[in-house]
Amino acid sequence: MTTPTGITYRKVAVPSNLERRAFLFMRLSGAALLLLAVGHMMIQHVLNSSQNLTLQFVAQQWSSWGWRVYDMLLLFFAITHGFNGLRNVLEDYVHNRNAVKWINRFLFVFAILTIIWAGIAIATF
Amino acid sequence: MSTLVLTIRESIRYRGRSGHLSWIAHRISGLAILAFLVMHVWDTANANFYPALYEWSIELFKHPLFALGEIALMAAVLYHAFNGIRITIMDFKPELWKHQTRSATIVWALFFVVFIPIAILMFRELMHGCAARGAACWQIPSLSDFLN
Repeated sequence: MTTPTGITYRKVAVPSNLERRAFLFMRLSGAALLLLAVGHMMIQHVLNSSQNLTLQFVAQQWSSWGWRVYDMLLLFFAITHGFNGLRNVLEDYVHNRNAVKWINRFLFVFAILTIIWAGIAIATF
Repeated sequence: MSTLVLTIRESIRYRGRSGHLSWIAHRISGLAILAFLVMHVWDTANANFYPALYEWSIELFKHPLFALGEIALMAAVLYHAFNGIRITIMDFKPELWKHQTRSATIVWALFFVVFIPIAILMFRELMHGCAARGAACWQIPSLSDFLN
Protein backbone atom coordinates (compact mmCIF):
# COMPACT_ATOMS: atom_id res chain seq x y z
CA MET A 1 0.00 0.00 0.00
CA THR A 2 1.54 3.26 -1.07
CA THR A 3 0.74 6.47 0.73
CA PRO A 4 -0.18 9.42 -1.44
CA THR A 5 2.41 12.16 -1.13
CA GLY A 6 0.15 14.99 -2.14
CA ILE A 7 -3.16 15.76 -3.74
CA THR A 8 -3.33 17.58 -7.02
CA TYR A 9 -6.45 19.33 -8.11
CA ARG A 10 -7.46 21.59 -10.93
CA LYS A 11 -10.41 23.79 -11.69
CA VAL A 12 -12.86 22.50 -14.28
CA ALA A 13 -15.86 24.25 -15.77
CA VAL A 14 -18.94 22.33 -14.61
CA PRO A 15 -21.98 22.73 -16.87
CA SER A 16 -24.99 24.12 -15.02
CA ASN A 17 -27.35 21.23 -15.75
CA LEU A 18 -30.03 19.70 -13.54
CA GLU A 19 -27.59 17.39 -11.73
CA ARG A 20 -25.27 20.30 -10.96
CA ARG A 21 -28.16 22.28 -9.48
CA ALA A 22 -29.31 19.20 -7.54
CA PHE A 23 -25.78 18.88 -6.14
CA LEU A 24 -25.77 22.52 -5.01
CA PHE A 25 -29.31 22.19 -3.66
CA MET A 26 -28.26 19.25 -1.44
CA ARG A 27 -25.50 21.41 0.14
CA LEU A 28 -27.72 24.46 0.60
CA SER A 29 -30.75 22.56 1.92
CA GLY A 30 -28.34 20.61 4.12
CA ALA A 31 -27.11 23.88 5.63
CA ALA A 32 -30.71 24.98 6.21
CA LEU A 33 -31.57 21.63 7.79
CA LEU A 34 -28.57 21.96 10.08
CA LEU A 35 -30.57 24.66 11.86
CA LEU A 36 -34.12 23.50 11.10
CA ALA A 37 -33.88 19.71 11.57
CA VAL A 38 -31.26 19.61 14.34
CA GLY A 39 -33.09 22.51 16.03
CA HIS A 40 -36.40 20.62 15.73
CA MET A 41 -34.83 17.51 17.31
CA MET A 42 -33.40 19.56 20.19
CA ILE A 43 -36.61 21.53 20.82
CA GLN A 44 -39.16 18.71 20.42
CA HIS A 45 -37.17 15.67 21.61
CA VAL A 46 -34.74 17.02 24.22
CA LEU A 47 -36.17 20.26 25.70
CA ASN A 48 -39.68 18.83 25.29
CA SER A 49 -40.33 15.11 25.15
CA SER A 50 -42.53 12.79 23.10
CA GLN A 51 -43.43 11.24 26.45
CA ASN A 52 -45.47 14.38 27.31
CA LEU A 53 -46.74 15.19 23.82
CA THR A 54 -50.43 16.04 23.53
CA LEU A 55 -52.72 17.41 20.82
CA GLN A 56 -53.03 20.58 22.93
CA PHE A 57 -49.26 21.09 22.71
CA VAL A 58 -49.40 20.86 18.90
CA ALA A 59 -52.42 23.20 18.81
CA GLN A 60 -50.59 25.72 20.99
CA GLN A 61 -47.48 25.68 18.77
CA TRP A 62 -49.43 25.96 15.52
CA SER A 63 -51.46 28.88 16.86
CA SER A 64 -48.33 30.99 16.30
CA TRP A 65 -47.19 31.94 12.82
CA GLY A 66 -43.55 31.68 13.90
CA TRP A 67 -43.86 27.92 14.50
CA ARG A 68 -45.98 27.49 11.37
CA VAL A 69 -43.31 29.11 9.21
CA TYR A 70 -40.57 27.10 10.97
CA ASP A 71 -42.42 23.81 10.40
CA MET A 72 -43.27 24.64 6.78
CA LEU A 73 -39.64 25.45 5.98
CA LEU A 74 -38.57 22.26 7.75
CA LEU A 75 -41.21 20.29 5.83
CA PHE A 76 -40.09 21.68 2.47
CA PHE A 77 -36.35 21.26 2.95
CA ALA A 78 -36.52 17.88 4.72
CA ILE A 79 -38.79 16.29 2.10
CA THR A 80 -36.92 17.67 -0.93
CA HIS A 81 -33.47 16.88 0.54
CA GLY A 82 -34.63 13.41 1.62
CA PHE A 83 -36.26 12.43 -1.66
CA ASN A 84 -33.39 13.74 -3.75
CA GLY A 85 -31.07 11.69 -1.52
CA LEU A 86 -33.21 8.60 -2.07
CA ARG A 87 -33.08 9.25 -5.83
CA ASN A 88 -29.26 9.43 -5.65
CA VAL A 89 -29.07 6.15 -3.74
CA LEU A 90 -31.51 4.34 -6.05
CA GLU A 91 -29.70 5.52 -9.18
CA ASP A 92 -26.57 3.82 -7.84
CA TYR A 93 -28.31 0.44 -7.76
CA VAL A 94 -31.04 0.52 -10.40
CA HIS A 95 -29.43 0.30 -13.83
CA ASN A 96 -32.52 0.04 -16.02
CA ARG A 97 -32.94 3.60 -17.37
CA ASN A 98 -36.64 3.19 -17.96
CA ALA A 99 -37.16 1.96 -14.40
CA VAL A 100 -35.14 4.92 -13.06
CA LYS A 101 -37.33 7.31 -15.06
CA TRP A 102 -40.54 5.89 -13.58
CA ILE A 103 -39.12 5.68 -10.05
CA ASN A 104 -38.10 9.34 -10.28
CA ARG A 105 -41.55 10.37 -11.51
CA PHE A 106 -43.19 8.46 -8.70
CA LEU A 107 -40.86 9.94 -6.05
CA PHE A 108 -41.39 13.45 -7.42
CA VAL A 109 -45.19 13.21 -7.34
CA PHE A 110 -45.21 11.57 -3.90
CA ALA A 111 -42.86 14.24 -2.46
CA ILE A 112 -44.99 17.07 -3.88
CA LEU A 113 -48.21 15.48 -2.53
CA THR A 114 -46.59 15.07 0.91
CA ILE A 115 -45.55 18.74 0.99
CA ILE A 116 -49.00 19.95 -0.14
CA TRP A 117 -50.94 17.69 2.25
CA ALA A 118 -48.82 18.56 5.30
CA GLY A 119 -48.53 22.21 4.24
CA ILE A 120 -52.32 22.51 4.19
CA ALA A 121 -52.46 20.76 7.57
CA ILE A 122 -50.11 23.36 9.08
CA ALA A 123 -51.66 26.39 7.33
CA THR A 124 -55.29 25.60 8.18
CA PHE A 125 -54.83 24.29 11.72
CA MET B 1 -32.24 -10.83 -5.40
CA SER B 2 -28.68 -11.91 -6.21
CA THR B 3 -28.02 -8.27 -7.18
CA LEU B 4 -29.16 -7.15 -3.73
CA VAL B 5 -26.93 -9.71 -2.01
CA LEU B 6 -24.02 -8.68 -4.25
CA THR B 7 -24.62 -4.99 -3.54
CA ILE B 8 -24.71 -5.50 0.23
CA ARG B 9 -21.67 -7.82 0.23
CA GLU B 10 -19.55 -5.54 -1.93
CA SER B 11 -20.67 -2.45 0.01
CA ILE B 12 -19.20 -4.00 3.15
CA ARG B 13 -16.14 -5.61 1.56
CA TYR B 14 -14.93 -2.60 -0.41
CA ARG B 15 -11.80 -1.40 1.41
CA GLY B 16 -12.23 2.36 1.37
CA ARG B 17 -11.42 2.48 5.10
CA SER B 18 -12.59 5.49 7.13
CA GLY B 19 -14.11 7.34 4.18
CA HIS B 20 -15.96 4.19 3.13
CA LEU B 21 -17.36 3.72 6.64
CA SER B 22 -18.55 7.35 6.65
CA TRP B 23 -20.16 6.82 3.26
CA ILE B 24 -22.09 3.75 4.48
CA ALA B 25 -23.13 5.52 7.71
CA HIS B 26 -24.27 8.60 5.75
CA ARG B 27 -26.41 6.48 3.40
CA ILE B 28 -27.98 4.31 6.06
CA SER B 29 -28.70 7.24 8.40
CA GLY B 30 -30.17 9.24 5.51
CA LEU B 31 -32.47 6.42 4.40
CA ALA B 32 -33.53 5.75 8.00
CA ILE B 33 -34.34 9.44 8.56
CA LEU B 34 -36.38 9.59 5.34
CA ALA B 35 -38.36 6.46 6.27
CA PHE B 36 -39.21 8.01 9.63
CA LEU B 37 -39.82 11.46 8.13
CA VAL B 38 -42.48 10.31 5.65
CA MET B 39 -44.38 8.51 8.39
CA HIS B 40 -43.95 11.44 10.79
CA VAL B 41 -45.18 14.07 8.30
CA TRP B 42 -48.31 12.15 7.27
CA ASP B 43 -48.99 11.29 10.91
CA THR B 44 -48.59 14.88 12.12
CA ALA B 45 -50.93 16.12 9.36
CA ASN B 46 -53.57 13.98 11.13
CA ALA B 47 -53.42 16.45 14.03
CA ASN B 48 -55.49 18.66 11.74
CA PHE B 49 -57.41 16.19 9.56
CA TYR B 50 -58.04 13.24 11.93
CA PRO B 51 -57.31 14.44 15.51
CA ALA B 52 -58.52 11.19 17.11
CA LEU B 53 -56.13 9.13 14.95
CA TYR B 54 -53.31 11.53 15.83
CA GLU B 55 -54.00 11.23 19.55
CA TRP B 56 -53.87 7.43 19.25
CA SER B 57 -50.56 7.57 17.35
CA ILE B 58 -48.83 9.86 19.86
CA GLU B 59 -49.87 7.47 22.63
CA LEU B 60 -48.41 4.63 20.57
CA PHE B 61 -45.14 6.56 20.14
CA LYS B 62 -44.75 6.70 23.94
CA HIS B 63 -44.25 2.90 23.93
CA PRO B 64 -40.66 2.07 25.00
CA LEU B 65 -39.85 0.47 21.62
CA PHE B 66 -40.83 3.65 19.78
CA ALA B 67 -38.97 5.75 22.37
CA LEU B 68 -35.82 3.69 21.70
CA GLY B 69 -36.40 4.25 17.98
CA GLU B 70 -36.56 7.96 18.73
CA ILE B 71 -33.08 7.77 20.32
CA ALA B 72 -31.82 5.93 17.22
CA LEU B 73 -33.38 8.68 15.08
CA MET B 74 -31.49 11.29 17.10
CA ALA B 75 -28.25 9.37 16.41
CA ALA B 76 -29.04 9.23 12.67
CA VAL B 77 -29.86 12.96 12.46
CA LEU B 78 -26.74 14.02 14.40
CA TYR B 79 -24.36 11.81 12.42
CA HIS B 80 -25.92 12.79 9.09
CA ALA B 81 -25.69 16.49 10.06
CA PHE B 82 -22.05 16.40 11.20
CA ASN B 83 -20.91 14.24 8.29
CA GLY B 84 -22.91 16.46 5.91
CA ILE B 85 -20.93 19.49 7.12
CA ARG B 86 -17.72 17.55 6.43
CA ILE B 87 -18.84 16.58 2.91
CA THR B 88 -19.89 20.15 2.08
CA ILE B 89 -16.59 21.64 3.31
CA MET B 90 -14.59 19.01 1.39
CA ASP B 91 -16.61 19.64 -1.79
CA PHE B 92 -15.88 23.33 -1.78
CA LYS B 93 -12.34 23.19 -0.33
CA PRO B 94 -10.53 20.37 -2.20
CA GLU B 95 -7.21 21.49 -0.72
CA LEU B 96 -8.46 20.01 2.58
CA TRP B 97 -8.73 16.49 1.12
CA LYS B 98 -5.29 15.68 2.51
CA HIS B 99 -6.99 15.73 5.95
CA GLN B 100 -9.88 13.49 4.93
CA THR B 101 -9.03 10.58 7.26
CA ARG B 102 -8.71 12.94 10.20
CA SER B 103 -11.91 14.76 9.23
CA ALA B 104 -13.86 11.47 9.30
CA THR B 105 -12.48 10.74 12.78
CA ILE B 106 -13.37 14.23 14.01
CA VAL B 107 -16.96 13.72 12.82
CA TRP B 108 -17.24 10.43 14.73
CA ALA B 109 -15.74 12.04 17.87
CA LEU B 110 -18.06 15.05 17.65
CA PHE B 111 -21.01 12.73 17.08
CA PHE B 112 -20.31 10.65 20.20
CA VAL B 113 -19.59 13.70 22.38
CA VAL B 114 -22.93 15.29 21.43
CA PHE B 115 -25.05 12.14 21.11
CA ILE B 116 -24.16 10.30 24.35
CA PRO B 117 -25.39 12.97 26.82
CA ILE B 118 -28.53 13.52 24.72
CA ALA B 119 -29.19 9.76 24.58
CA ILE B 120 -28.89 9.61 28.39
CA LEU B 121 -31.38 12.49 28.77
CA MET B 122 -33.83 10.88 26.34
CA PHE B 123 -33.48 7.50 28.03
CA ARG B 124 -34.26 9.09 31.40
CA GLU B 125 -37.40 10.70 29.91
CA LEU B 126 -38.38 7.27 28.59
CA MET B 127 -38.00 5.74 32.08
CA HIS B 128 -39.93 8.61 33.73
CA GLY B 129 -42.74 8.34 31.17
CA CYS B 130 -42.91 4.58 31.62
CA ALA B 131 -42.94 4.84 35.43
CA ALA B 132 -45.74 7.45 35.28
CA ARG B 133 -47.92 5.18 33.14
CA GLY B 134 -47.25 2.06 35.22
CA ALA B 135 -48.60 -1.16 33.76
CA ALA B 136 -49.87 0.69 30.66
CA CYS B 137 -46.26 1.39 29.69
CA TRP B 138 -45.81 -1.77 27.61
CA GLN B 139 -49.37 -1.90 26.28
CA ILE B 140 -50.16 -0.96 22.69
CA PRO B 141 -52.98 1.63 22.91
CA SER B 142 -56.19 0.44 21.30
CA LEU B 143 -57.33 2.53 18.35
CA SER B 144 -61.01 2.01 19.18
CA ASP B 145 -60.48 3.78 22.55
CA PHE B 146 -59.63 6.95 20.66
CA LEU B 147 -62.22 6.84 17.88
CA ASN B 148 -65.24 7.09 20.22
